[in-house]
Parts: sequence; structure tokens; C-alpha cells
Amino acid sequence: MDARLRRVNKEIADCKNDKSSGIRIDLVDESPFHLKGSFPGPQDTPYEGGYFEVDIVIPESYPFQPVKMKFITKIYHPNVSSASGAICLDILKDAWSPVLTLKSTLISLQSLLCSPEPSDPQDAEVAKHYMTSKSSFEDTARYWTQIYAGGPGPKEKSDGKDEVAIAGLERAHVDRFEALGFQRGKVIDALRRLNYRGPNVPKIPDDRVVEELLK
Amino acid sequence: MSDMSDDNDYYSDEDMFDGTQDEDESGDEMELDNFGDDFKVPAKDKKKSYEVDYDSLSQQAVEKLMARDINHICSILGVEVDTASLLLRDQKWNKEKLIEKYMDNPTKVSVDAGATLPETGPPPPAPLRNSTSSSSQSSNRRTTRGSKMLGLGPKTKSPTSSPTISHHVPQSLKRASSKKAEDFFVCQICFNDAPNLQTLALDCDHAFCTECWGDYIVSKIKEESEHSIRCMAEGCALVAPDHFIRDTLLPAPGAPVGDVERESQNIAAWTRFQELIVRHFVGCNRNLKFCPYPSCTNTVSCPSAASKASLASTVPIVSCGARGIGPQDQEISKSQQLGFGLQGKEHRFCFGCPIESDHRPVICAVSKMWLKKCADDSETANWIKSNTKECPICQSTIEKNGGCNHMTCKKCKNEFCWVCMGPWSEHGTAWYSCNRFDEKAGVDARDAQSKSRASLERYLHYYNRWANHEQSAKLSVDLYAKTEKKMEDMQITSALTWIEVQFMKKAVEEVEKCRTTLKWTYSMAYYLAKGNEKELFEDNQRDLEKAVEDLSELLESPIEPDTIPTLRQSVTNKTVYVQKRNEIVLEDTANGFLEGRWKWNVAVDGFDDPEETVL
Ligand SMILES: [Zn+2]
Ligand SMILES: [Zn+2]
Ligand SMILES: [Zn+2]
Ligand SMILES: [Zn+2]
Ligand SMILES: [Zn+2]
Ligand SMILES: [Zn+2]
Repeated sequence: MDARLRRVNKEIADCKNDKSSGIRIDLVDESPFHLKGSFPGPQDTPYEGGYFEVDIVIPESYPFQPVKMKFITKIYHPNVSSASGAICLDILKDAWSPVLTLKSTLISLQSLLCSPEPSDPQDAEVAKHYMTSKSSFEDTARYWTQIYAGGPGPKEKSDGKDEVAIAGLERAHVDRFEALGFQRGKVIDALRRLNYRGPNVPKIPDDRVVEELLK
Repeated sequence: MSDMSDDNDYYSDEDMFDGTQDEDESGDEMELDNFGDDFKVPAKDKKKSYEVDYDSLSQQAVEKLMARDINHICSILGVEVDTASLLLRDQKWNKEKLIEKYMDNPTKVSVDAGATLPETGPPPPAPLRNSTSSSSQSSNRRTTRGSKMLGLGPKTKSPTSSPTISHHVPQSLKRASSKKAEDFFVCQICFNDAPNLQTLALDCDHAFCTECWGDYIVSKIKEESEHSIRCMAEGCALVAPDHFIRDTLLPAPGAPVGDVERESQNIAAWTRFQELIVRHFVGCNRNLKFCPYPSCTNTVSCPSAASKASLASTVPIVSCGARGIGPQDQEISKSQQLGFGLQGKEHRFCFGCPIESDHRPVICAVSKMWLKKCADDSETANWIKSNTKECPICQSTIEKNGGCNHMTCKKCKNEFCWVCMGPWSEHGTAWYSCNRFDEKAGVDARDAQSKSRASLERYLHYYNRWANHEQSAKLSVDLYAKTEKKMEDMQITSALTWIEVQFMKKAVEEVEKCRTTLKWTYSMAYYLAKGNEKELFEDNQRDLEKAVEDLSELLESPIEPDTIPTLRQSVTNKTVYVQKRNEIVLEDTANGFLEGRWKWNVAVDGFDDPEETVL
């Protein structure tokens, strides 16, 4: 059997058997090389209470080349692109070792949420926010955890700030659905619920958004 | 006919040259080439002012230079060959810096290079947490490393303890040796737990199965072009020494043939690995440059062009000595096989910049500026590249299918110049200049709009001629391919010998070469400051252009067996003349750089700022 397939199957099985870590790995479609990982946000962080999903693509020469991962769940973090979910983490690049596994990599992502590295940012805007005002950064991160990762807390946060911006949505996207005749507030809510960010995985067609808006 | 006046120009200019010029067309001191008396080429040992001294080196020759440095480090620092190689690679092959740093703190230098394990502190995290193999976690690994290689018999040596790069541990020995019974080993990468699994480890004792090591090394080399290949264990910074890589990739002599596909992939990776180290060495040495042609592994050494300052006065065009584009370039025509050595294009490139062709006589900085300008304005200038234009008199469509720019409209018989669309009859006369741009329009321009139109017109003038020479060179080579076929046929049907029908080839090559020079002279003229020097430059440019167009036209005349002797005579004469005009442009421009004669209308690295900016 193909060594890569054997290894990935074993990794998926090992992860299923281990209930203690809270890490999950699921198939996206038929292929064992396109997976979805998920884990709870770590305690005592703005991500606590949220549940984060990660898109996993296993390259041809895995495990000798690093696995490709990016966040599906929108997350406000200096080392994760707020637009695309791309992650800046050394083990996903130069520091990758073939002994690392999908599970250990997801655990590393989880601990990245505990200890951001703003000096080596993926999202310069978020990193700047983190450096200039940590408490304000944490407010936004917590808010995103609530609206995108199912975190607890009051859903309203109308202290005069731009709702679209704080939800991390693109104005153009909101404008587009508003132009169809929906209320702006409703559009923002629906796009939040859908974790909408344009071309991200999984791609959300306009019909799906309209369906959500008509609920 | 302007030849007389041209010759006068030429002789009156001769004191500008430094005596390396061959002044006499019929001089007999020239070396004869394959063409018998048809063509003379100047003796090779005379260096022209537009040439640089360089050597081309094969990969093996560079490996010898590397080995010299490695051995030097071995003897000075008292380290093994593989260690010396890792240390040098880590210090970018700077021996002095390495020796200095090593004397200061040998452990740090060695650990940083991945040549040895850290002496103190905790061992690197063991990746074998779930493994039942206890020996791999032993902390006294340094004292017992020789016997620590899992799966190897007691006679085998640890890779890094081998003194040279040579093949020390025959693979067959490794494969034949059986694993110790008490070791229950699971490879932490492929999860293989077969009882006879062969494993390998570096000094750190992080053991993995041989196949995983092989696949890992191949992946690093093939996908990352990496020559510094770290241990597979997480956080372990030890780098695999050369012979570990070789022993892992190459099958032992006499070993049974295994997976053929895997083995050939491994051998290819080993070849690539050696090339990567040579490339690294070459890349770290300012005197060397790797040939940029695909699949070529030659290197050129050109110390005189190693400094940035030298590039303000020389154009270091070099050739690696090879031709063609590797083994796939098998289409060699009959005449090429007959000894002209034309198996594809010569690997000619610039040592001073990334341009992969001859850009003489223009220095790198100006060439780069021009290419950038052309790329930025590519849309504006796209229409110029079209192969069809309208006759300026009767507006019928005329297609260009050869290199010659002397066009004759089939309908109205109007003769005109493809480049400027002006009457051909006036070309080559003293009062008509196809090559020179009339700057007056730009000077008279008052408002911003007419200024910008004037500046665009100025650019298009130069770009048009630049692009046209490039296109014409290609078209004349295409046309020659057809002519060559015809001449080969004529050999069969007439009494002509092979040698007698070769004059066209040499002429076409010369035309292509001169059009390359001409092409670049337009980029130079675009940036040259107005004045006497620019005018002299454009005089030489015009004379070369006229000569090239005349020869180009001749090359497109119909060929029949009975016209060949006269055609051969005039083509040969014109080829020699064109060669001389090209020499003049190249020599004079190169001398101008050496004498500091050229002034620019824009700021150029290594030159004084312009007195007035035109652009
Ligand atoms: Zn190691
Ligand atoms: Zn293995
Ligand atoms: Zn070459
Ligand atoms: Zn150059
Ligand atoms: Zn016409
Ligand atoms: Zn013209």
C-alpha cells in the first residue's frame, strides 16, 4: 500500500481513539488527503469557548513535506490572516519534521492561540492592534470567537464601532446583499453565521446566503 | 553606393583604436577558419576592448576548487572532510571568516553548521516517545555512537566518523546485517514495524527506516533544492554529511536490483545534490557564475567583472563553452554534423547581470533600465511588432517575411523602408537619417500634453528600431533555413561542392550578430545625452545598419546554380565589411566607456548625474 496513505489512515485512526485531546480530524470528501481538523479554543484566552475548524491538505510527498493547513473558522489572531485563514507557523514551513503528525500539528495550532507571535505576523493589521492595545485586541478576538466560533457571551456589541469592520466582513460583500433589498443588520448577521469570506473553503454560493437571509 | 565614404570614415577613425584592430581586409596575419580563404577571423589571442577575460569551468573543475578549500580547512582545523564541507557551506564558503570564527568558538560554529551535536544542555527532544526502542533514547550517545545505529551490524561505522567522502559502508553489508533481536523497532514516520527493517541514524541516533530516509532526502533535494538536509527528528539540527546522503541514495555495487523506479529516482537525486553544492559554492563566489541555460552545469570564472564598479565600464559577455539545450536537443542538421560545431545556440550570457544573451555594446545598468522601460510600456509599443504594414503610397497591405527592411510594394512598386516608412532611395545618403531621432519636436513642446506626446514619440522611435532588429534577426534565420535546404539540393543536382554553398550560413550568422548589436545600440542612444559624442555614436550605428541592410537584401536574392559564384563573391565581401562595421561599433563604444566619454540623459549608477534630463 502507498506509504502516504498508510500513514494518513493510521493518523486518522489514532486521533479517533484518543478522546482526551479534544482534537478531531474528519474527512471532507472521499479523499483521505483533504481533511478537516477541529479543536476547542484554549482556556484563559480570548478564544476560550470557541470551536475552530482547520482545512487540511496533505501534499504528494507527505510526510517529507509539511502538511498544508489554514483556518476555516474566522479568527482574530496576529499569526493568522483574518481574510484568508492562512497561518504563519514555523513547523508548517522550515521547521517541519516528518515525525510531526496531523494531531501534533493541530495541537501546535492550539497553543499558537495561547501565545501569539506578533513579531512574525501573518496579518500585519491584527499584529499592530495586538501591539498597541492588547485589551482592545482581546475584545475583538473574543467578539470574533463569539460570532464565528460559537463562543459564549452577549451577542450585541453596539458601542458605536463599525459593525462591518469589527465583524471582519468586507463592506463590498455586505453592500452586495444589502442591495438585494435585505436589511443591513440582517445581512451582517447572516454572513457572520455563515462564516462568509468570499472565496474561502468551503465556498459559499450567493444562493446559500440568500437562503439564510430568508430564514 | 556609400561604401567609399564609409571606408574613409573608418580609416580616419583608426587612431581611436588601440591597435588590436585588423586594418587590412586582405591581411594575411589573420587565422584561417574552416571556410578556406572566404573568411578570415582575427587571431584568438588578441583581446578586443569589448571582450573580457574569462574561463569556463565544468562541474568537475568547480568540484576541484571546492575540494581544495575543503582540504585546506581539514588541515587547518583538523576536521574530517564531510565536517569541513558542512562548516564551509554554513559560512558561505568564506574560509577566512570560518577559520576566525572557529578559532574563537569551535563548538558553536560546528553546532550551528549542524556538523555536531551540542556538547552540553539537554539532548534534542527524542521523537520516539511511543517507541519501545530504548537504545535510541540513551543519553550517552556520543560515546557509543558507532554501535548505536539500529539495524546495523557491529562492523559498520557511524556515518560521520568516516574520514573521507568515499563509499565506506557497502550497502550490501548494511542490508545483509540482521537487526538485534531485542530491538523492537517501529519507524516513527511510516509506522513500519517489520522485524527485519533496515534503519539509519546520524550521530544523534534518531533512527528511521532506510526507505523513509531515502524518500526524505529525495524530497528535500527535488522539491526544495536543499543541500543542507537536517535529521528528520523534530528540533534536531544535525545535518546529514555528504557520504550519508550518498550511501542512502546510491545502491551498493553488486546489490540486488530492488525497485527500479525508486533507484533511478535516488540516483538522479544524488546527481542533483552534487550540482546543488556546486551551485552554492559558485553562488557564494563573486568571481564565478553558473551558466543560466537549462540543464547546463558549467560555470564561468570572470574575476575582472566581479566588482560592481567594473560594470560601469565593461560589458562582461561570456560563454560557458557549451551549446544547445541538453540531451533533448537532438535535431542536428546534416551540415551541422559535418563539423561546424553548430549543435544549437552557444551558451552566451552576461556575467554582470541576469540578461541571458549578448547585450554589447551597452553596459548592464543601461540595458536593465531599457528593458524595464520596454516592459512598462509594452502595451503602447505592441502594435510595432506586427508583421504587416500598409504601403505609404497605395495603402495595400504588405507583409514582411524576411529580415531585409527594403520593401517593395507589389502593387505600386513603391520602394520604402519598413522601419521609418520613408523612401528607400534616400537611405544611406548623408542627409537622410533613419536611425537618428529629431529632438526638435520635444524642445518646441510647451504644454504638458505635447511634451508627453513628444516623449512618447521619442521612445517609440528607439523602441521601433530596437524591436525591428530583433524581429529581422529572427526572420533572416527562418529564411535561411529555407535557403539552406535549397542549397543542399543544389549540391546534388550541380557540380557545387559542400564548401561552396556554405557562404550563406556564415553571412546569416554575421547578420544575426550585427542585428543584436544594432538592437542594443538603440537602447544606448535612447539614454545618451545630446552632443557630439552621441552624433559620432549614431554615425557608426548608421553605417553598420546600412551595411547590414545591404547584406540582408543580398541574402534574399534568388539562388540558382549559375548565379552562385557571383553571389558568393559579393556575399563574402559584404560579410567581411559588415564584420568590420560591427567591430567598429563594439570597439568604439567599449573604448568610450573606458575613456569616460559617454554621458547620459538620466542618472546611471557609476556615472555623474546628467546635466539636463530629457525624459
Ligand atoms: Zn537527529
Ligand atoms: Zn520508515
Ligand atoms: Zn552552459
Ligand atoms: Zn549585463
Ligand atoms: Zn503600394
Ligand atoms: Zn528608414
